[in-house]
Order: sequence, then structure tokens, then C-alpha cells
Amino acid sequence: MKTNFNRREFVKKSAWGAATTLTLPAFLQQSLFNLDARAQTLPSPGQDGPILVVVELGGGNDTLNTVVPWTNSVYQGARPSLALGEDDELLALGQTQNVLGGTEQLSFHPALAGMHTLWQEDDLAIINGVGYPNPNLSHFTSFDYWRSAKPHSESDDGWIGRYFSSQCSGCDATQAIEFASRPTTAFGSSDGVSPSVSFRTPNGYGWRNLEAHGRDTPLEELYRKLIGLDHLVDDGITPSSESLSYVQRSSHNAMISTRNVRDAIENGGSLQFEDWPNSGFSRDLQQVAQLIRGGMGTSIYYVHQNGYDTHRGQEGRHQNLLATLNGGLDAFANEMKLAGVWDRVVILTFSEFGRKVIENGSAGTDHGAAESLFVMGGPVNGGQFFGTFPDLAEDARVKRDSLDYNVDFRTVYRSLLQNWMGVPASAMADIFPSQPVNFEPIAFV
Amino acid sequence: MLTPLTQDKWSRRLSDHLYHRAGFGGTPAERESFYQLGNDQGITAAVDSLVNPTETWASAPKPDWSTDVDPNGDLWDGDSDRRRSFVGWYMKMLREGQPLAAKLLKFLLDHLPIDMSTCSSETRFMYFIRYFEMLRRHAAGIGEDGNFRKLITEVSWSEAMIKMLDLDDSAANEINENFGRELLELFTLGVTGGYTEADVGAAAEAFTGRRLYRMQSPHPEASQVNPDYLAPEGEPMASSYQDRDRQDLLPKSFMGHERMPDGRTISSGDDIIELIFDSSACAEHLVWKLWRYFVSPEIDSAVLDDLAAKLKDEHDYQIRPLLREIFTSEEFYAESAIGHQIKDAGDYMICLQKQFEAETIPDRAMDNLNSQLNYNVAYPPNIAGWPEPVATGNEWMSAGALLLRINAPAIWSENNYDIFDDYSARRSFDEYPEVDWDEIAPPELRSSDNFPLLMARLTDRYLPLCPLRKSQVRILYNHFVKTSQRLDSLTAVKELTRMITALPEYQMQ
Repeated sequence: MKTNFNRREFVKKSAWGAATTLTLPAFLQQSLFNLDARAQTLPSPGQDGPILVVVELGGGNDTLNTVVPWTNSVYQGARPSLALGEDDELLALGQTQNVLGGTEQLSFHPALAGMHTLWQEDDLAIINGVGYPNPNLSHFTSFDYWRSAKPHSESDDGWIGRYFSSQCSGCDATQAIEFASRPTTAFGSSDGVSPSVSFRTPNGYGWRNLEAHGRDTPLEELYRKLIGLDHLVDDGITPSSESLSYVQRSSHNAMISTRNVRDAIENGGSLQFEDWPNSGFSRDLQQVAQLIRGGMGTSIYYVHQNGYDTHRGQEGRHQNLLATLNGGLDAFANEMKLAGVWDRVVILTFSEFGRKVIENGSAGTDHGAAESLFVMGGPVNGGQFFGTFPDLAEDARVKRDSLDYNVDFRTVYRSLLQNWMGVPASAMADIFPSQPVNFEPIAFV
Repeated sequence: MLTPLTQDKWSRRLSDHLYHRAGFGGTPAERESFYQLGNDQGITAAVDSLVNPTETWASAPKPDWSTDVDPNGDLWDGDSDRRRSFVGWYMKMLREGQPLAAKLLKFLLDHLPIDMSTCSSETRFMYFIRYFEMLRRHAAGIGEDGNFRKLITEVSWSEAMIKMLDLDDSAANEINENFGRELLELFTLGVTGGYTEADVGAAAEAFTGRRLYRMQSPHPEASQVNPDYLAPEGEPMASSYQDRDRQDLLPKSFMGHERMPDGRTISSGDDIIELIFDSSACAEHLVWKLWRYFVSPEIDSAVLDDLAAKLKDEHDYQIRPLLREIFTSEEFYAESAIGHQIKDAGDYMICLQKQFEAETIPDRAMDNLNSQLNYNVAYPPNIAGWPEPVATGNEWMSAGALLLRINAPAIWSENNYDIFDDYSARRSFDEYPEVDWDEIAPPELRSSDNFPLLMARLTDRYLPLCPLRKSQVRILYNHFVKTSQRLDSLTAVKELTRMITALPEYQMQ
């Protein structure tokens, strides 16, 4: 019982603010607590705490054809083949202010019917004009900036990794789960490895052929010993080698998390919503839903939808991408409502950049800058626009330039951490060492 | 300036380091004879045995179903067998090619990746095989091949890259900047290479009008393609060409140049490539990429400057002479480099099979495993290729992929194929021979008394660069003794092997 008590205390204190009172190094604490099978079944804060689902739209979403300023003559003129208009069954959102002081009439792309319903139910907010100073038009560099939240500098950590370092030192390895074949640098931590794991699917995430086979010790246990996981003194980490210790810590994280993840999948049972669409994105969200239903203590889920780099033949491709996005998110929202947890979930979508106002020679659009973001969930102050709509003319005249931002994306992250995840304002300087000028949280949640 | 490595420093450890970085490691016998070569004939001889271009790829002809002149309509790949055969061909080149040629082939594919989904089903294998034949020619580096400038020029005319980055869709006044941007950012100058958005635009304009001839389907019912759109006689089918009508012929200004060095105006894509390669930023970017791949994520700035100047001015962008300088330098053998690189998926698969001296696994299984290891050869994650195997801030190894690696050695240690999530992949092992355990661990060593010798033999084979800790050896000893008593000593050896090859230390080179 003592161990259980300690773990409960530890989780409570370390995950949500104060430093742990125990003196052992964080990694050993994890290992010790994992030694106790009962400890693993204890509720952890994520089980009833706030959940953030981050959706990365890879390739650069053309948000001008997503949140469409269809009455804007500059928009219509710059996109002879791609502009959406009156005949396209757009879904009306309403008016918002633009940076010129006028108003902009905005509608959703017709593929976003489910998200439009969320908007009407005040569960979806739109933040216009999001970006950062001196935008970089490289997919890779711009994604690096969004993930590190340190534009224009090289970084070896990410904003979520720093959030954990600041607020959740020594937390369980599944504080964040990403569905991807490689970990996002947003989880990167200069401490080594953040309490996060990435995998393509939890179904294959397990130990195969490591069972006992009539031995005294199952091979899995032997392996745990060999990597120092259950050792009181030697934690098996080679501090002199950054790369080796990275793999060692990753193998610890993998070993610690595999059982929790598989248990949660089992506990989650079958999903209740019956009309999940058939797409990779939808499958990832189904697994997120399953883990949430299964009582996983994870506070951040990270999923991807790729393919937004629509340099050519954009119309059909973009339509399909948005339909996939809408289908997945709509089903996920329904599932969360059926599970009674919609009030615990906030979803953020973002892309590494928006696209140029003017269409290119291939009925597509090239890389741009500022974009519109979506925030969804029960706790969201939805049905409202935040930020200010950019000046399209500024971009359309200068072919190779792009939309200017008026909301820094770090402010969006900060708003989520402070207003939703309950992080104190005093921690922001650590989590966002490179702060934008106006850093006040926005009230979308 | 690099410091040349002196002969007295040559050791098995340095030799193994070179053999893993400039190749994929090998069997104990291969490594020993490589070490002896450096010992008897000198370091330069050992390095030259890797760097001298000798690979003609004669032992890896392109797949017998591939065709270049007369498609009979059966390039359709409904069941993905062609793709698996194609991937098998590539992996065979990595496994059996001259070590440095194979290692460079993997590097070049990573530097200049192409995606099968961007090509039509009729043309994809034709384009892919042409592209890979080009890459492997440059990886082998015979004659004028193996030159970055020549390579990039050929890539810019290659059908697969033209499709990959929408070049055939870019015309005067209807610019598509996809290729122009990635050429500068990823292939040559690097994102800090000093170009502007206007330069991206100028490059995109200069590369307009590159198109692909169409292909006539041999099906009797297929509609006839206008002969004007077919490749002229003597040209390969569906090859690339310059369409003057679609080209932007206006003079360009690019990276501060208004004219070419010989006074001509700047107008074509080839001109842009020439100007790029005249800049030191290009040489620096390419040296940086090579250094990261072959040596370490960090490079001293003086070394970078020096090597970049050599690559550009002395070696005229030939890759192998530059690598010779690197492989004979003390810096390459720094303790901070040896054993500190995480194997990427290709390194891992090839090295593991070589160490087991195992028959290459069947195409179907290889394809499945590659995919689970996040190394889909025909479908790179994006135009930046597969992430580099560096550590902190690492995008590279997910917990999921690591678990796969922990489980994979059971293929050879236990003939266990559970990790394949495809029934046919498991079935493809029906005829697969077991590895030679008597060679890996001779029976006379399989006793508790001889455990130190047994361990020395196993770690020399599997972990030549990254030693185990004493506590790990103790744990393995206890397990070996118990398993030998309870089951048998061969099973105990197999389990030791399984555990050693699953360790974090095994992921390093």
C-alpha cells in the first residue's frame, strides 16, 4: 500500500504543479512505481483531467479555401479557377473584421458540414490570421518553428516537451501519445526524452514472442533488467553518449508504456458511434477515442493528416482532404459526446503555413504564410472568430509574398496551456523562451 | 583542416568504425580481413579498397520484368508484387553491393527521394527503375559519375523527379514553384543558403517547360495517343524533353547574378544549376549532409569551410575523393563519433542480416518489415527523405519502431515470424534456411566455464563498437546458466543472441 500511496502523491504533485517530494531521480521513480502492478491501475490525473488533441495538417492547408472570403473581389480575382462562390453550397459562418477595418463575409468549404454543425453549436472557434514574424516558406523549417515554438532559431526541444519539463517532471511515459511513424519534435526535451511515446497503431505496440515458454523468468522481464528498468541503483542510462542515452530512455518509455496502452485499448471496449468514416485519419482518431474511453492518463494526443501540399489540381484534392478531416473530427466529437467526455476535450488543428492568395499555373496554390486555425470541443467558446482577417490585396499584388499574420501561434499555444490545461502564467517564460510581443491569452477556451 | 590519421593509430576499433560507416558492417571474417589490409598495406590501402570505384552492379541487374522500350501492358501492379520485387532489388544492392557504393546509394535516395504515388500506374516502374539506375551509377562513381553537379542536372531531367515536384506542370506565366524551391532548399543550397523568395521564383521560372512524352498503351482497345506526343524514335518511351512553347525565356536574375560567367543571359534550368554550384553555400550544404550521414551531427566550422572548398575547387563536386579525405582523417575516428550514431532502418536491416550471415529475407517479408520500420522505399515520408539518425530533438526513432527492432531478431534467433502483420509474409519463410549456429557460437563454447569466451565471440560479432556494461553481462550469464540447465545450451545461446541484438546498444554504430 505504501508504494501506491507514494505513487498517488507523486503523480498528484509532479503532474500538476509542485515538485515531487521524493528524492529519487524521476526515471527511477517511474521504474519503481511500475514494479508494482497495482500501482499501474491507479487513476492518474489525465483520467479525469483536461485532454488536448493536436491535429497537424501537413503540407500547408489552403485556409482561404477552407474559411472562404467568398465575397472578396481580390480573392475572386486572384483565383480564376479555384475561387469558391455563391454556386458552391458554402456553409455560412458570418462576418468578421478585417485588418483594413472593413468586414469580411466568411463561409466554410462545403465539405465541412460536421464542423459547421459544431460551429453552430458553439463548440468550434476560428482564429484568423495566425502565423509568426518573417514567415519561412519551407515545409520543414516552418514545421520546426511550429513544433519548437521558437521561430528563427535552431532548437533541440519542443513546446510540449518544455511543458512537460516545467509541469510534469518524471511523469508517466504516456503523458503524450502520438500516432505517427516518427516522434514529433514538439515532444522534444532537452532533458533527454519527454514522457511521451509515438507509434502508428497501438495494436502492434507490444512485446511479441517474449513470453515465458516454461522459463523461470519471461524474456520480457530479462529485457527490462538488461536495460536497467527495474534496477535500484543502475538505471542503465549512459550519460556520456547523447545518442545512446536517447535510445536507452526511449526503450524505457516503450517498455513502461506498452502494457498501459494495450490495457487501455482492451478496457475501452467497442466504440459507440456507428458511422466512423473509413480513412487513416479516422482510424487514428478512433484509437485516440479508444484510449480515452479505456481510462488512459494521457493529457495530450497528437495526430496527423497529410497531403495538403496542393501545388497542382487543388480543387478535387482539397475537397477530399477536407472531407476526410471533417469526417474524422465529426465522428470523434460524436464519440466523445456518447462517452460523456466532450467537456474534457479540446482539439486544435494547424498547418505549417497557409497558401498564397494567387493561384499558380497548375490550378493549385504555392506556399504561403498566415492561416486560420480551428479549436473544437465542449469547453471551447465556439461560434466566434478570433484574430483579424488579413488583407488579401497586399498579397495578391505581390506574387511571391503572402498573407500577413496578426495572431502569433505561440499565443494560441499559451492560451491552451493556461486557460485549458491549467498551467500558471508564471511558467510561460520557461515554456516559451522566445515570446511574441503580444502574448496575452485569447479567450477561445 | 583535417588531420591525417597516422598509421600507428590503426586498430580493430577504428577499422570497424570505418567498415560500419562507409558500409554496413559485416561478418567477423570480413571485418578481420579489412583490419589486416589496413595493418599490412596501410590505412590508405584500406580506405582505397572502399573509395576506389569498382561497382558495376553487374550482379544486381534490374528486375527481369522491367522494360524500357516496349511495355507490353503488364506493368500494372494490382497485387503490389512488382513493388515488392523492386524494393527487393534495391535492398539486394544495399546488401551485396560494394560497401561504399551501397551506402552512397542509400544516401542519394535519402537526399533525392521520389514517391511512387506521384507517377501513373503505367509509368511508375519505368520511371523508378530509370531513376534508381541513375542513382546507383552515381553511387558507384565510375568515370564522370559520382559528381553532385552532374547528378543534380540528371535528376532535374528525370521523369520521376519531374512528376514528384510538378515540374511538367510549370509553364511561363503559369509557374509552379515546387521544384524550384526544393532544389534550392533541400538538394543544393540548404535553407540557410542565402537565397531569397525572389530567387525561388527565378529558379521556378527558369525550369519551366520540362515535359514528359506520353506513352501508347499496347492494349488493342486503348485510345490512340497523338503521335506528336510520343517520344521520337531513338528516345526512351515517355522520356522528358524541353517544350520551348511553355518555357519562360526571359532573362533571369538569380542570387545576385544578372548574367552567366561567360556573359550569356540566365535563362534555363541548367543555367540555374550551374550558378548554384558556383556558390560556396552549395558546397557547404553538401559537405554538411555528407558529414552528418557518415560521421556525426556536429561539424567544426573550420573543417566545414575547408572541406567545402575542397569539394568545389579541388574535386569539382566529385563525391568519392572528398570521402577519401574524410575517411583518412583523425576527425572521422574521434571517440565522440565512434558508436554514437543511431542506425537508420536501412543500416539496421542490412547490418543485422550480414551479422547473422543469414540469407536475405524474402521480398514480401522485407517489404513488410521495411514498412514497419518506417522505411517505405517507394514512399518516402516527404521530399526531405527519411529523417537522419541523430539524437536529441530526434524525429527518428518512435517507441513503435523501437519495439519492432526489439522483436525483429527473433526472425533468426527463434525462427519466429510473429512480427509480420501479413500472413503471406510469414508464409514466405517456409523455405528459409536457419542460420549457422555452430559458426556463430561453436558448441565447445556453450558452457558456463567458457561463458567469457562465448560472450566475447557474440559481442565481437554483434556489438563491435558499443560494449556491454558489466551488470548486463552478469544478467546474461545467470540467464545462460539457468536456461542451459532447464532447456539446453543451444537455446541458451539463441536467447543470448536475441537479447544482445534487441538492446539499445545494438541500435548504435
